[in-house]
Amino acid sequence: MTAAAVFAMLAMIPSSGWAQATKATKTFDGHPDLGGIWQYMGTANWDLQDHPAEPGPMWQTGAIGAVPAGQSVVEGGDIPYLPAAAAKKKQNFDNRRTQDPEAKCYLPGIPRANYMPYPFQIVQSPRGILFVYEYATANRMVNMGKPQEAGSDTWMGTNNGHWEGDTLIVDVTGLNGLAWFDRAGDFASSKLHVVERFTRPDPYHLNYEATVEDPSVFSRPWKISLPLYKRMEKNAQLLEFKCVEFAEELLYGQFKKQPAK
Amino acid sequence: MKHLVFTAILFAALPLVAQTPKPAAKAAKGYTAPKTPWGDPDLQGQWPATANIPLQRPANLGNRATLTPEELKQREAQAAQQAEGDSEEFASSKDSVSINPPGYWVERGKPHAQASLVVDPPNGRIPALTPAGQAYAKSLRNGLGPGSHFPEKVDTWEDFDFYSRCITRGLVSSMLPTLYNFGNEIVQAPGIVVIRNEMIHETRVIPLDGRPHVGKALQTYIGDSRGHWEGDTLVVETTNLNNKTGTGGGYFSDAAVLTERFRRVAKDELTYDLTVNDPKTWTAPFTIHMPYKEDPSYKIYEYACHEGNYMMIDALTGARALEKEGVQVKVDNDNFVRKVDAPKK
Amino acid sequence: MKTMTKKSLWVVSICTALLLASSAPAWAHHAFQAEFDQRKPIKLEGKVTDMEWINPHAWIHIDVKNPDGTVTNWMVECGSPNIMLRRGFTKRSLEVGTDISVQGYQAKNGSMRANGSSVTFADGKKLFVGGSNPDDPNNGKQQ
Repeated sequence: MTAAAVFAMLAMIPSSGWAQATKATKTFDGHPDLGGIWQYMGTANWDLQDHPAEPGPMWQTGAIGAVPAGQSVVEGGDIPYLPAAAAKKKQNFDNRRTQDPEAKCYLPGIPRANYMPYPFQIVQSPRGILFVYEYATANRMVNMGKPQEAGSDTWMGTNNGHWEGDTLIVDVTGLNGLAWFDRAGDFASSKLHVVERFTRPDPYHLNYEATVEDPSVFSRPWKISLPLYKRMEKNAQLLEFKCVEFAEELLYGQFKKQPAK
Repeated sequence: MKHLVFTAILFAALPLVAQTPKPAAKAAKGYTAPKTPWGDPDLQGQWPATANIPLQRPANLGNRATLTPEELKQREAQAAQQAEGDSEEFASSKDSVSINPPGYWVERGKPHAQASLVVDPPNGRIPALTPAGQAYAKSLRNGLGPGSHFPEKVDTWEDFDFYSRCITRGLVSSMLPTLYNFGNEIVQAPGIVVIRNEMIHETRVIPLDGRPHVGKALQTYIGDSRGHWEGDTLVVETTNLNNKTGTGGGYFSDAAVLTERFRRVAKDELTYDLTVNDPKTWTAPFTIHMPYKEDPSYKIYEYACHEGNYMMIDALTGARALEKEGVQVKVDNDNFVRKVDAPKK
Repeated sequence: MKTMTKKSLWVVSICTALLLASSAPAWAHHAFQAEFDQRKPIKLEGKVTDMEWINPHAWIHIDVKNPDGTVTNWMVECGSPNIMLRRGFTKRSLEVGTDISVQGYQAKNGSMRANGSSVTFADGKKLFVGGSNPDDPNNGKQQ
């Protein structure tokens, strides 16, 4: 596209701060451009619900391993666990140092991948919308064509998307129930069904909502709502966090050959 | 203005082009590569590495880059026989029982006339390692050499290779044929090309905006890739590789520069050339050529390897159990395959 | 022709092994020989209780009735599920309760795990052979 054509196009857009700040607000197929490098800044990955500052599971890391305070990103405040599930959540929390899938470098699942303290990239292509997460090279292709059924359960789910106006809706099924929602042990089963909504209110934010339902774990559906922030560094890009080597001692250390005594 | 930019990129790329031999990637006659909606050459598609070509050429083929029609026919006959065996519905006395999964539970590649993936040097073999390259490989595991897919001992997970540890196959292997799950998908967006490899869920996001590589301290398993177009060819330069992966027994040094060239030469054909330039590790650069055929029906499935790696725990605990028994079981694939006990129909 | 020197009921065929070895790419599977014990050939028959469609290898869980009437749950290691998913099979293709027969070798660590070198229905039909038509009711299912 020549410079002249770009200016002509801009001139046609009703004047708004965003239109003047960026060259284009729509992708090649006329939908909102959600592309870019995004990252969540709050503490949802530590704990989705209200939580004061508290020690982490290992005193050896001092204040570095502690948990910062955070306000709930759950609409209404609390996650509505069924009684048996609430007990399981507590058990998860008590064993989080060794049982949190994040500690094991396991894939984070949905919705957790979107609010971990690592950037991710949205790539809108003619083949679908690809989410690439820096953490553990997790990724998922959101199918924007005819919805497909999950052949088997996976960590990142089977993702079917469509647009409703300016909102990208992603329907996530086929999740294996092994991922957690946060480091506090919040969890669901393989009956988990997540519906996400992405909007871009301005060039620098995405609004993210995830409606969560799992009748075997929760008494009713509940919703996560949080903003995602654009990484503004000049040459922002995903780096590599292949963390298996960081988790092997934790996972396998007890099985290695002990030195002869 | 576009032309000026294009020419500038071409000039900038010239020194690199001059050093690396560019194998011919001729488009089919009259073929014009399609474009994405925003005007880039369209390389998108599912490009599973089905062409069953060995990495290095058997020495007896010398400098011959292609199989003779008879040799190809022989491979095709073998493949047909294998396919027949694979589709045998019922267990029979022809089958053997080994320590492997069911023999038909693989995705077989297709025979191809190309004699080896390595096309330069002309003998189709990876050049010798430098003394430093050899010394490094030998030094791993305190002098025992690199971990292996078939480890001689299982003291720790480091006795296994990075593939068995479910970490990575490395950039080179991830693009090439293997026993199964050799899916590769190319996805494009304005200013970006993404290469997805099914096993082990690698996702290379390659910017096309000419930004510099990241700093030298940022070394990674899959490196740092930068792409640009030369006509219809996508040229990708990758640096910043750590020394945990490589190919053919050598491991990348901090001097490694990998140059890939992707071009759609027919509706369903993508040619791929990868030149490895790492003078600290190999005595000469070398080039791999891989022909991909599009398979729109291929679907990449999640390959969450590490999450399901029972093998690692079983191998470690198995070795500890045998140590307790005082048994040294040297495993030899040839010695304990037995005939299947097939029920009478 | 080599034979196993153990007190074994099974016949070894080196010729078959060589035939298999030459026609396939080198067995680039995970280190099965580090996992399974050549001294412990095994034959299992039982009812499917679960199938984990996971990588790098799928696992079928079966309840095996022991000679003394007790039941032991075994895990049988198969191939990568992605291959079968591409052939049209899904997690619904192997129903719980199906009778299957397994031949392989037991895990070195003594656990109730074995590799499924041969995995068939009771009549000897191999699991998940073929299967390019997901709508074929015969695919992967015991009739």
